[in-house]
Amino acid sequence: MISQVFILSSKGDHLIYKDFRGEAGKDAVNKFYEMVTALTGGQPPVVMKHKELHFVHIRQGGLYWVATTKADASPFTIIEFLNRLTALVKDYCGCLSEKSVQMNFALIYELLDEVVDFGYIQTTSTDILKNFIQTEAVSSKPFSLFDLSNVGLFGADTQQNKVAPSAAATRPIVSSQGEQGGKNEIFVDVIERMSVVIGANGVLMKADIEGEIRVKCYMPSCSEMRIGLNEEFSIGKSQLSGYGAAVRVDECSFHQAVRLDEFDTYRILKVCPSQGEQTVMQYQLCDDLPTAPPFRLFPSIERDSGGRYRTLFIHVPLSLRQSLFSYSAAINVSITIPVPKGSLRLSQELSSPDQSAELQPKNKAVHWEIPRFPGGAQLSALFKLEVSGLSAASLQEVGPVSLNFELPKYTSTGLQIRFLRLSPIQPGPSQRWVRYVTHSDSYTIRI
Amino acid sequence: MTDSKYFTTTKKGEIFELKAELNSDKKEKKKEAVKKVIASMTVGKDVSALFPDVVNCMQTDNLELKKLVYLYLMNYAKSQPDMAIMAVNTFVKDCEDPNPLIRALAVRTMGCIRVDKITEYLCEPLRKCLKDEDPYVRKTAAVCVAKLHDINAQLVEDQGFLDTLKDLISDSNPMVVANAVAALSEIAESHPNSNLLDLNPQSINKLLTALNECTEWGQIFILDCLANYTPRDDRESQSICERVTPRLSHANSAVVLSAVKVLMKFMEMLPKDLDYYGTLLKKLAPPLVTLLSAEPELQYVALRNINLIVQKRPEILKHEMKVFFVKYNDPIYVKLEKLDIMIRLASQANIAQVLAELKEYATEVDVDFVRKAVRAIGRCAIKVEQSAERCVSTLLDLIQTKVNYVVQEAIVVIKDIFRKYPNKYESVIATLCENLDSLDEPEARAAMIWIVGEYAERIDNADELLESFLEGFHDESTQVQLQLLTAIVKLFLKKPTETQELVQQVLSLATQDSDNPDLRDRGYIYWRLLSTDPVAAKEVVLAEKPLISEETDLIEPTLLEELICHIGTLASVYHKPPSAFVEGSRGVMHKRLPARTGSGEGTECPDVGNAAGGSAPEAAPSIIPSQGDLLGDLLNLDLAPPTTTGPTPSTSGMQMGGMDLLGGGLDSLMDESEPPHVPLQTDPPQSPSPQPPSPVYTHTDYTYTDYSHTDSPPDHSSTEHSPPAELGGDIGGSPAMGAGFGAAPTVMPASLNAPVGGGLGDLFDLGGGVGMPMGAYIPPKTVWLPAMKAKGLEISGTFARRAGVIQMELVLTNKAMSVMTDFAIQFNRNSFGLAPAGPLQVLTPLGPNQTIEVSLPLSTVGPVMKMDPLNNLQVAVKNNIDVFYFSCQYPISMLFVEDGKMERQVFLATWKDIPNDNESQFQIQDCHLNSEAASNKLQGSNIFTIAKRTVEGQDMLYMSIKLSNGIWVLAELKVQAGNPNYTISLKCRAPEVSQCVFQCYEAVLKN
Repeated sequence: MISQVFILSSKGDHLIYKDFRGEAGKDAVNKFYEMVTALTGGQPPVVMKHKELHFVHIRQGGLYWVATTKADASPFTIIEFLNRLTALVKDYCGCLSEKSVQMNFALIYELLDEVVDFGYIQTTSTDILKNFIQTEAVSSKPFSLFDLSNVGLFGADTQQNKVAPSAAATRPIVSSQGEQGGKNEIFVDVIERMSVVIGANGVLMKADIEGEIRVKCYMPSCSEMRIGLNEEFSIGKSQLSGYGAAVRVDECSFHQAVRLDEFDTYRILKVCPSQGEQTVMQYQLCDDLPTAPPFRLFPSIERDSGGRYRTLFIHVPLSLRQSLFSYSAAINVSITIPVPKGSLRLSQELSSPDQSAELQPKNKAVHWEIPRFPGGAQLSALFKLEVSGLSAASLQEVGPVSLNFELPKYTSTGLQIRFLRLSPIQPGPSQRWVRYVTHSDSYTIRI
Repeated sequence: MTDSKYFTTTKKGEIFELKAELNSDKKEKKKEAVKKVIASMTVGKDVSALFPDVVNCMQTDNLELKKLVYLYLMNYAKSQPDMAIMAVNTFVKDCEDPNPLIRALAVRTMGCIRVDKITEYLCEPLRKCLKDEDPYVRKTAAVCVAKLHDINAQLVEDQGFLDTLKDLISDSNPMVVANAVAALSEIAESHPNSNLLDLNPQSINKLLTALNECTEWGQIFILDCLANYTPRDDRESQSICERVTPRLSHANSAVVLSAVKVLMKFMEMLPKDLDYYGTLLKKLAPPLVTLLSAEPELQYVALRNINLIVQKRPEILKHEMKVFFVKYNDPIYVKLEKLDIMIRLASQANIAQVLAELKEYATEVDVDFVRKAVRAIGRCAIKVEQSAERCVSTLLDLIQTKVNYVVQEAIVVIKDIFRKYPNKYESVIATLCENLDSLDEPEARAAMIWIVGEYAERIDNADELLESFLEGFHDESTQVQLQLLTAIVKLFLKKPTETQELVQQVLSLATQDSDNPDLRDRGYIYWRLLSTDPVAAKEVVLAEKPLISEETDLIEPTLLEELICHIGTLASVYHKPPSAFVEGSRGVMHKRLPARTGSGEGTECPDVGNAAGGSAPEAAPSIIPSQGDLLGDLLNLDLAPPTTTGPTPSTSGMQMGGMDLLGGGLDSLMDESEPPHVPLQTDPPQSPSPQPPSPVYTHTDYTYTDYSHTDSPPDHSSTEHSPPAELGGDIGGSPAMGAGFGAAPTVMPASLNAPVGGGLGDLFDLGGGVGMPMGAYIPPKTVWLPAMKAKGLEISGTFARRAGVIQMELVLTNKAMSVMTDFAIQFNRNSFGLAPAGPLQVLTPLGPNQTIEVSLPLSTVGPVMKMDPLNNLQVAVKNNIDVFYFSCQYPISMLFVEDGKMERQVFLATWKDIPNDNESQFQIQDCHLNSEAASNKLQGSNIFTIAKRTVEGQDMLYMSIKLSNGIWVLAELKVQAGNPNYTISLKCRAPEVSQCVFQCYEAVLKN
């Protein structure tokens, strides 16, 4: 049972405050801000307690979304709820920011009133809610179709957040009747996150993929959408992969609105998309990847004991697999190499001018950035580190190397969307966008 | 134009401006004005002055405006109750509106106006809305019943809303069902004994059907409600499980966790050999693994729950070790939780993998994480014997890095490894000694000193090493000081010739120059041991230590069971029972797992060990408190140096004098207030210092020898081995006992002269071992029913507990003129379910002026209803003339059962576990018993003394009581010699019994 819900800006300004049960005072808001800003790194900030009041919060769009409770409530429910609430606000207001929340406070209060009653969560489905909501959203930017040139990912919270949100996907789902033309659009994203651990001997120790298919729909009249996946898509560990072309995942879960009657035979997901954004399908694949991991790295380390300071040479040749990427490139690649604690100076040899590398003494790491990495290429870097008090044991402090990257137009499981059909046939022009991306979740190579 | 402008204005006269705008004729302007008002409200400005103007805007067709006005009303109605009444008419009218949105809006808002006056107007509209044709209105009305109940519970009952709500469970719309279930569940929580949510197979079936159609949030309400149901048998349990299992693949993690909770609970009832049981186990793993791919916030909450599940049923996740490997970009709080689970899942099968991971973690950047990783390596060594060697070599590698905190952690865990595998890895000591200088944390220093002392004979320069620590003795923490003292004594016993000076130095530092009673007492014990019987000293100090056990930080089984019942809630994140952090009556109900049917165990909790795949039952792992010692905590013994000044040397001199009576004194030394010497009597050459000859040395049968054959209690072993525990391990107790011993010379005669050889352990057995139990206290008979009121029948009586049977002893006197026959008796429902166990045995007719004494055995299995006062009993007695009613109060002591003696460890854990709010303190005046007599007397009434401690002449008795309904009451009785006023503190999970228990104490002690 939720007692209060409030939204705070990162500076602690009260943006939204709603009390559902009259059990706790408004001073809880300031108390929360005090507690959350006083947290030290090691403390889990998820659930906090002050006297009889428990705070659960998430951070999204630079804002604190907080729910409080006095009962032994379920933090899962509350976190899920807060995530949905952010999604709803995003759907209704277009994007999540201090400004959009402030501009639409009346709308958000109205939403909260319908979504939660006396602390019981009622519904978070935009389809149901749009029957009740009266307030019009106020959009911060006028929408223009020309922005579509730089269509990025609308939802994929990529690690660096460097993909610019496209205006197309950041407008409110329900907008005034005026601009009817050109807004019949549907976006489908296939996003995969990759976790890989490669051992010191080059053996792949662990490789996991977590993927999801997300749909954002701007079609008011669409009653059913059929998403066709690869026909050879299979679920489960035991199934034989046939002729090797199969796309396989271990586990799969679907949104409540997905009907699976054609899934078993034709691999078709039938969705009745409500307007707004939703995750239609989530899937995982552990260990048994269909292809080798995209990056290989063979670092070598040498120690030179001459000179005043002892020097450490770290040679990092990095290659991106050719076969898949002859037409594509990895972007925003960054490589972090932990180095011994006494590292003082770094000198480097990089293979192209757009790359950069620096020593971050606070994190005891060398940070190497490559903005664009063409498929099949091989880059290498040589780092020379001056380390005070270098000993044999210092070598143990080097590594593991971690990589962050994005691979657009690529899914590592091989999952593809064969087709996207809408019924009834949409009047007027309709746009369907399908995008793929794989990005790193935790990609480490041990030394 | 955007709404953000509303936040910007704070000029004077703003209120007036708004007032004017609110009263404007233009709708748009009004709406804008109300928005401004709400914006001000949000940022915390007081706009209550505008109440009448805003309420005026209420009557409008514009739904958007109406909603805004209602929003305002909900916020300010409470502060302006009279004004709120103004709005009532509009509400009532809106409840009749043809538009269901408006009807629902009105009933929802009315419920949120928490003003008592408004409730009477609410009843009629609510009644209509509960039966509304539109499900949206009905589901809103269902919640409104819960709101109203929160404001005025009586009204809700009187108006019969609860029955309507119950009917809604069978509603055709799943949303309505879900809200009805949620509302009923909440109302039921405040009425623990009512069966509002009458869960039976039929209603469960309805809920299961609704489960498939509900929204995800509705599913959570229903699943949580299901979790409170106890199926009749394993069949029903299985069928419910089968219908809940599909929820495990839901995308909403809250639904998944609620389903896991139901399954974990109902699984308990399934026989292990059932195929379905295995299937279920397999089905539980994937959803739990899936949770780990969520946002870090959810991951953390999930990991805390998985930690519980792994302790309860390790087999579920035993093949999933890899998913708990940390990712470098996990937040630190997720990393630490994962590490914890990794160790719990570590086994011979996966240890190689785990160790490789841990070694990687140990070189990461984050200090907390690295420390925990190093510690985890040590725990692996202790848990999986085959891996010990590799763990040790890994640790040595890490020590080579010379990273300060890594080295210190490694030394702490290596000490534990030595204790688990003695005489196996001592070859590494040399490496450890190289790092002596870098140790700056007390725990690491203490561990290192322990190692040096323990293996003094193999370390050539052990004396130099220890001496180097001794230089800064006073600057060390107590932990290190205690350890150093013990280590030097060990060294002395091993190499007596070279280290005499050292031992004298440390003993004098500990006994003379220290304010810390723990340290001083330990110093004195060693001193006297060495001076009287060095052979015994050797046996005591160098006794073989018990091996430490492998599992650490396990949650106590009963708590674990309760937490399993609360999977997915805050309790499972805090790892504390809800009673510890939820106020009010909600926490009183303790949930338990159902018993396995057919096992014949009754409600006995299933063995934690039996979770391992149905093979031969493993021994239940002994539970080790994670830090320090419970007893130490309980007795408020601060193990750090005391902030208040301890007893001054003169008092300790006096205490020593007291000890002298026992046969071994150091009085001469003390009285001369010279630097004390170590009088040595044995094979090593005579101490060079002059020894004042004293007759006390001839007492060789000094009672301290008792300690030498005290085995360390096996439950005492601890990997978080704190130095005070070291002494405890040696002399058979816990650190507090060291202190208790030293400070308690006055009680020592009893225990020391006792023929039993339990040493200090006997202190804790005083009640049972030494005392002579007396009979239970029976209050004198009182007149319950005067003859005046009962047509000549007078009843007096009392209650007694004899041989475990509760008896009601009645005296019936016939003061009427006619003969009385056909006696019968009945009790009303009462707090502890007392009921006659047989008929009232009055066989012969009772003639005029005749008296008969009857004894009626009582059972405690009757219907229960909470009475006020708690021990009130309403009785009806019938005879051939009429039925008579009276009520009496029974002493709660007759409900104290014979097996109410709690294990010491359990007592300590329970005492800590019960929140301090549940503690109540009472004074018992004018009681002239000493603590021992009191303890004996109380034991006669099944109040058991578990431990006794004396602090500065005040005896503290720790007692436990178990009531016939299984409630435990823990007590601490403070008795000060010469002071007739006792202080008693009672702790109980059901604090309402405390008052009654206190009355019993008073009655028992004063009679």
